[in-house]
Amino acid sequence: MTHLVQAIALGLLIGGVYALMASGLTLIFGVMRIINIAQGAFLILVAMLTWWLWHETGIDPILLSVVTTPLMFGFGWVAYRLLLSRIRGSSASMSVLLTFGFALVIEGVLNITAGNKFKSATPSYFEESFRVGAISLPKAQVFGFLAAMAVLAALYFVLTRTWTGRAIRAATQNPSGAALVGVGATGTAALAFAIGSATTGVGGSILSVLYPFFPASHYDWISRLLGIVVLGGMGSLPGALVGAGILGLAETLTATYGSLNWSTLVFYIVIMVVLLIRPQGLFGAKLREDTV
Amino acid sequence: MLSLKGVVAGYGGGSVLQGVDLECAPQTITCIVGPNGAGKSTVLRVISGLLKPSSGEISMNGETIGDRSPDEILRKGITQVPQSHALFPAMSVRENVLMGGYLIRKNRALLRERLDMVLERVPIVATRAGDNAGNLSGGQRRMVEIARCLMLDPKLILLDEPSLGLDPRSLAGVAGLINELNQAGTTVLLVEQNVRLGLGLATHGVVMEGGKVRLTGTASAVKDDPEIASLYLGGASGSAPGGPSSAGPKTEAAGV
Repeated sequence: MTHLVQAIALGLLIGGVYALMASGLTLIFGVMRIINIAQGAFLILVAMLTWWLWHETGIDPILLSVVTTPLMFGFGWVAYRLLLSRIRGSSASMSVLLTFGFALVIEGVLNITAGNKFKSATPSYFEESFRVGAISLPKAQVFGFLAAMAVLAALYFVLTRTWTGRAIRAATQNPSGAALVGVGATGTAALAFAIGSATTGVGGSILSVLYPFFPASHYDWISRLLGIVVLGGMGSLPGALVGAGILGLAETLTATYGSLNWSTLVFYIVIMVVLLIRPQGLFGAKLREDTV
Repeated sequence: MLSLKGVVAGYGGGSVLQGVDLECAPQTITCIVGPNGAGKSTVLRVISGLLKPSSGEISMNGETIGDRSPDEILRKGITQVPQSHALFPAMSVRENVLMGGYLIRKNRALLRERLDMVLERVPIVATRAGDNAGNLSGGQRRMVEIARCLMLDPKLILLDEPSLGLDPRSLAGVAGLINELNQAGTTVLLVEQNVRLGLGLATHGVVMEGGKVRLTGTASAVKDDPEIASLYLGGASGSAPGGPSSAGPKTEAAGV
């Protein structure tokens, strides 16, 4: 029983971090129909930057997201204006090609500047845990989870309580309806891309503590994130949350009761089964119905 | 108030509108009727700026607007309610209506005032405020779509097929709302397949065919035109079917 509770607790902690990482991807897809394959590379870019800043200054890696988040917001804005706006109106497959190329460029630059070696930020609490009864919760995972939840709450607030958020949601649900009320397509898309990129500011900082990484790790991450988003329903934020929780739980439960080697595979089996029953993903239909 | 002169516009290579001349006087309801493919909806799209005319002039109160962007035209007080699917289905009715005031979002007092006005004029916005727009019936959606465009206190409302897919009761509600708005001083330009309903509601009628205006006049004159009756209203006795292009001068340019 303790094993089960421990596995569920860890699964939810890690699921929260996955949710944050996937939220940017699904937001960008929802508004622009852009599948940002470079989202994984953005995460690794931030992880690398965080690691370097931590290494040089000793400032806590998760706290460094205060620096990396605005940086990634600006990076996303510029990337959209210079690069992605050029394929506006093209099919989603074009966005896959462009952002895959973008990811390769980031990977190449990181290989040259940071080297092709595993890195991991190891703050003082790295090997410490909180004890709750018989359950042990690694501090790094708890802090990562709390930071992720804080960002998701902020994202929820922005999307539901501000005009920027309303405009983004309106453009997600009905682009032509949004144009009719004066929501500019380009400005909204650039903002959504910038916000989606900014989530990797926190996500990448957490990643640098929780997982060893090297430039090519982005392939592994983008496949996980795409898995979460497809499972939850492309473009749906609640879907990303649930999908991320399922991935976290599938990983820890399989690792506890089966083997670590099978933990990722189980998640993909879950995706296949869900897609057989609901091809649009768990929450996929809700945002897209009536908007065609 | 609104004037189109020789407007040519289309999608891709071809021109759907081939020199459209149209006038809407203030506080009138003008209804455009005509067969499918006549270019009725395209007229609304060029007025609202969603489609740029390749030639011709569009002006509102003497000011040229044909080259303006959709949001600039919105700011001039021209709003459009399209045929269908204009709402944001996963947002609440209240949020949908609020989004209508997106361009005045920085003026909170004005926004509040407009919202109160809309709540009073279109009660469904208050009674279903918290429901997702995607859960409304067709008639309710149309009411909310119209309510949303009122947030900018428009001088001219463009309505594309307001009767589409509505049952008679919803239809009566929508028609009543259009009448109320007109009586409050708003000019309305609508496109309608349901000729009897459209011309019944309107003060003026316009018949389009093949991308051109074939006939204009007061709504009752257009409705009573034997040729129109024969073509669109299921037949008036004694008139031989033929193109409305041969319509007599009786109704032409009758004060529109």
